[in-house]
Amino acid sequence: MPQSILMRWFCRAYLVLLYAYPREFRLQFGGEMQQLFRDRCRQMTRTPGLWHWLRFAMQSAADWMSTMFQERMAAVRELTVQQCAHKTFQVVRTVWSAGRQTQPRGFVAEWTMTLIVFLFATTTLVQAYVVPTGSMESTVMIGDHMLVDRVAYSDPGSWESHLLPYRDVQRGDIVCFHYPEDVRQIYVKRVIGIPGDRIHLENKQVVRNGQRLIESYTQHIDPRDEPYRDDFPQAPGWNTTPRGRDMFANHVRDGELIVPPGTLFVMGDNRENSEDSRYWGLVPRDYVVGKPVVIYWSYDAPTADFTGWSFDHMFDVVTHFFTKTLWDRTFTVPRARQAEVAQ
Amino acid sequence: MSKPTNPEDLLPLTPPVFHILLALAEEERHGYGIMQDVARQTNDALQLGPGTLYGCLKRMLAAGMVEESDERPDPALDDERRRYYRMTALGRRVVRAEAQRLADAVTAAKARRLFDRPRAGVTGGV
Repeated sequence: MPQSILMRWFCRAYLVLLYAYPREFRLQFGGEMQQLFRDRCRQMTRTPGLWHWLRFAMQSAADWMSTMFQERMAAVRELTVQQCAHKTFQVVRTVWSAGRQTQPRGFVAEWTMTLIVFLFATTTLVQAYVVPTGSMESTVMIGDHMLVDRVAYSDPGSWESHLLPYRDVQRGDIVCFHYPEDVRQIYVKRVIGIPGDRIHLENKQVVRNGQRLIESYTQHIDPRDEPYRDDFPQAPGWNTTPRGRDMFANHVRDGELIVPPGTLFVMGDNRENSEDSRYWGLVPRDYVVGKPVVIYWSYDAPTADFTGWSFDHMFDVVTHFFTKTLWDRTFTVPRARQAEVAQ
Repeated sequence: MSKPTNPEDLLPLTPPVFHILLALAEEERHGYGIMQDVARQTNDALQLGPGTLYGCLKRMLAAGMVEESDERPDPALDDERRRYYRMTALGRRVVRAEAQRLADAVTAAKARRLFDRPRAGVTGGV
């Protein structure tokens, strides 16, 4: 019966949502709230119709958002000095009462809460980016709009790491990071080498720590062999940046790059058309922003349309939304993949 | 938190708090019982979510308007995770004062002819 599945899913989601409440509150009432929610779900199963569930979901989400915020604020209030606390209380009470005076609740207060939570979520936890270049084709395409999980690789000591599963960057991961030569730009590439790895390329094939890699995720579009690009690290060419030259000068030994501590060696999956660590050097570990979690929208347009705001692009999106959206890419997940070792 | 003994200090009550007290006026109830009763009182206009309900209960417990009950009125329906809540003497005085306040407000509204008469009683125009 689909409704019981829906119910189980709802209850499980609610259990996770409970963690948004302050610890004290959760310990005191969490079990009961869960029980109440389950009872409410059970009551819902008696009234059929997806519409009821949708309404119930919206109600629950609104309840969760506003009360979570209230309880968090209350928890903060109890911590601070009394006078200061009193002031905060008054401000908060004004905001609350704006949402409580009428029945149904104040539209503005409700949406303010939603917006605050949304802004918090999009700035600290996830962030949306659009990919303007094809260096990661065929894994990530031009026009892919993706959400980036910003806490996936957070430092082990930081507060986010207690909330969410944390792990360190691994070989094969796709990462978003600040481009070292211009930190305002965010790049997305695949991690090939982590600290301590010895890396070189032989005729487009990566050799890592003496093992030849078979990388199923790469794309090769140029059959020619260009020594700098395809047999890295040969002598730096004309387009090596200052950081790239530093890498060649200090970290290449016996024809191999040795990745120094605290840095990563990254390359695009579109090997012949990717400006990556081969040209501009290593990525400091601190520059990593996160990893892409999902491509939520993919739109078929040239690079120039995604690098700045233009009226033409907006118009194009409005008029061609359905035909130029790449529906089969929407809600796909760019996955980390391990390279195999050739025998 | 110092507990005010004067019920007027706690007024006005928010609608959820008022309806929770009304629900507890008859008998002690657990969370789901309160939620159902509030929905009944208000013809489903006020559906208390878990966060709202327990947020209110937390503040009401702190203010001394309700307390946890040790008794289990209905052992057949019992579940150890459910806790029962009961109204205190202060809670009763508060809800009475609030009801009085609302009644006064209704009287004032009536005096200014702002109050709709019961629909069934309306037979002709003004």
